[in-house]
Formats: sequence, C-alpha cells, structure tokens
Amino acid sequence: MRRLAGLVMVLGFYASVGQGLTDDMKATEEQLYASTKQINQFFRRFNGEEDDRGDRYYEGDKKYRDSGLRRKYLPMLFDEEAGSSEDVRKDFVKQLTDRKTPVFLDFHRDDWVAEVNAQFRFKGQDVTALLYMKLQAQGQGYEWVIDDVSFEPFKTFFEKDTSDQKQFIHPMSHELEFMTLRKAFANNEYPEQYTPRSYEPDYLTLFLYEMKRGNLKFKTVKNVRFHFFDIGGWYFELANFNRPGYNTGWLISNLMKIQNDQQLALLKAYVYDKN
Amino acid sequence: MNYMKHILVAVTLLMGVSAFAQTNVDPRRKQAIDSLALEKVKDLSKYISIIGDKQTQFSEAQRVMDRAEELFAPDSEMGVSSLSREEISYYKVREYFERLMALNYDKVTIKWYDIHYISDLERQPDGTYVGVITIYQRFEGTSDDGMSYKDTTKKDITIYVKKKETQIAGRTIEFWDVLLGDVRVTETSA
Repeated sequence: MRRLAGLVMVLGFYASVGQGLTDDMKATEEQLYASTKQINQFFRRFNGEEDDRGDRYYEGDKKYRDSGLRRKYLPMLFDEEAGSSEDVRKDFVKQLTDRKTPVFLDFHRDDWVAEVNAQFRFKGQDVTALLYMKLQAQGQGYEWVIDDVSFEPFKTFFEKDTSDQKQFIHPMSHELEFMTLRKAFANNEYPEQYTPRSYEPDYLTLFLYEMKRGNLKFKTVKNVRFHFFDIGGWYFELANFNRPGYNTGWLISNLMKIQNDQQLALLKAYVYDKN
Repeated sequence: MNYMKHILVAVTLLMGVSAFAQTNVDPRRKQAIDSLALEKVKDLSKYISIIGDKQTQFSEAQRVMDRAEELFAPDSEMGVSSLSREEISYYKVREYFERLMALNYDKVTIKWYDIHYISDLERQPDGTYVGVITIYQRFEGTSDDGMSYKDTTKKDITIYVKKKETQIAGRTIEFWDVLLGDVRVTETSA
C-alpha cells in the first residue's frame, strides 16, 4: 500500500497536466498512468529504462537501468492478487538488481514464448487452440512464428497403447514382405501403436494440414499470456489484468525459482501442454 | 494542411537517414519519429471526436473520414472488444468510422486522456519499422429520454515507419514517413 501511495503522489503531478478532464476522468487517468500498458512497458519498467511518466531512458542517461529505479518498479510489476509469497518476490527482485550481476530482459535473445488462446471453427464447432508463438530473426528484422500448438481434438485423437497387450507387427514379418500390415491396419483406429516408443504426434503439422484443407478457420483471439523461462534462473508468467485500481495491465502472475535443467524441461512440457 | 505539416516533420528526419538505416534506431532519430507518429495519432483522435459528434454535418463527417483514412496503411483494421463481449469484432477503418457516426445517441462526447505510451520501434523482415502507440478515449453518449452510456477504451495503434523518396527541386530526397496500421480497441475497467 505504501508503494502505491507513493506512486499516486508522483502520478498526481502528471494528472494535473490533463486539460478539460472531469474529476472522475482525472482519477481514472492516475490509474492509467500506473497501469503497465504494453509488454514493451513491462520490459522497460523491469529493466529500469523509463521515468515515471513513461518517457524512455537511453544508454548514457544517468538513470538508465539504475538499480534504485528498478527496486522501485519491480515490486509493482506483480499481480497483487496472485497470492505469491512475498519472500519469493523479494528474492527475485534482490537477485535481478544485484549490483555486480544484474539481470535484464532482452526482447530478442531471451527464452520466452507467447501463449495465444484463440478460437477456431473446426468441423462445425467452435474450438479453442493454444498457439505458442516465438520471435525469430528473419530478413532485415524479426517476426513472430508459431512454434507449437495445443489442440484438444488432436490430443484425444491419438491414444497410444504401450502395454504388453498392445497389438504389434510380429518380428518375422520382413520374411513375408510385410503382408502382416494388411491385418494390422484393418479396422484399426489406433495405428499409432505400430510406431516407436519415442513417437510423439506433431500437432502443429496436423493443425496446418487441416487449415490448408479448409477444415479449420480462424475466428478470434480470446486472450494472451507470456512465459519467460530462464531469467537469471527464474520462470515467470505475464498476464494482462483489466480491472479497477492501480495494480493493472501486464503483470507477473506466476513466479518460480528454477532449481535445475530437469525442472526447467518439466516446466516447459507443462506450459506447452505436453504432460 | 496536415499533409504539409507531416512532410515538414518528415523532412526534419532527413539528416539521420544513414544512422537510421542501421538495426538500432538512434535515440534522437527515434524521438523525432515519435513526434511525427504522435502528430498522426492526435489527428486521428481529433477526427474521431468530430465523426462521433452529433453536431457534425453529414458532408463534413464524410470529408473528415476521408482525411482519417489517409492516415492509415491499406487494409488496416480495428479489432474491437468490450468488457461484456470477449470476442473481438474486426472492422475496416472506414466501416469503424461509419459505425461510430451512426451510433444511436442524441449527444455524443468523445474526450481523450492526456496519456500516450509509445513503444520502441522493431524492424520487421522487409526492413520497415513497426511500433505501437497506446492512447485512451472517454466516450459518453446520451439520449433525449435520459439514457446514457459511458466507457473508457484503450486504443493500441500500430505505426509503420517507412523510407520514402520525393523530388525537391529536381533532386531525389529520401525521408521517413509514418503510417498508422491495425488498431486494437479494448474497453477498460478503470
């Protein structure tokens, strides 16, 4: 609360700049200043690259990436209603703002992904797909590309039996020029049981195939969130909070210290809905 | 008149062409581009207020819509959602203005908060720079029977910064111009 009160005092000055605004608009304007309005602003506040009014600090400016500035901004970048531990947050901020080894976000180089919850029309029904988007260097600049997809109709379509009772193609089939395939595929809903143990269906390819065949039509985006996987040994999730008050906009909704590579791999599998 | 104003601001960017053609935008150049982009966004804000105003004559509204459309790159769209309707509706820019003009209120007041947030410029694969400017609009519509509606909407406006050429006194001069692109309109709870 003390942090918010301090911020409101600072914002009060800027709100007075507004001309011809009604009183309720002035109150709203203070909240809008406080809101983290763009992902870009999240990056800048996280890194300490802008002033209270949102004007950019550049390399060489006295306050650019100032650790004091960052210690002021970073605690305000959490969703206050998420209920994450205050101690964990403090550890996170302390590590990021360490004077010798500070950690900053890098738009182009960091391991981060956008999870886009989108609606499609598929076989006469509205269905949700999660598109995982990544930035990729291309030509003279960058582009967002679809890295993977989670799509429920595909997930339930593949059910691989890996038990000892599973159907198989016997090991002397080669002597028969694999005539055993005829029986294997006859009336078989699950031909995936004839694939190696390591087989994983490539949902993105299937998704694009259905789209190219005209079976899958984009309707709309419902919401977006972001996952930052390894920022100085931390994972965090970024989500948009559209609500009254000062703790709004793009905020950290989930925070976790990564202990080792195995935990990071498990976390990625979870985020990509591969568990 | 606006066109001339934009040309004048654009010409001020001429000196930095070589620096700007590199991957990172020089901060001073970026500030000049921001000013130009903000001019266009302010023009758009002004045009929207005029188009929405019920006192505006039909012919005048049509003329302002033409001017407003000129600010945008071809095929730009407005993606609109509200607190009560999560799904985004997509409109061509002209269609959005026409719907605004046709709103069924007797009095409409559109005001703009004194907030604008300008993102960094990122280069896309074809070399064009792209950024986003965020502004906030206050809408109030009232009917003669006393019914009224108010909302605050956030408008995230794409800006494209492109290198162009023009002839001045027989010489080919390169300059950087700004066009607006797709706009995401969301109702805020604030």
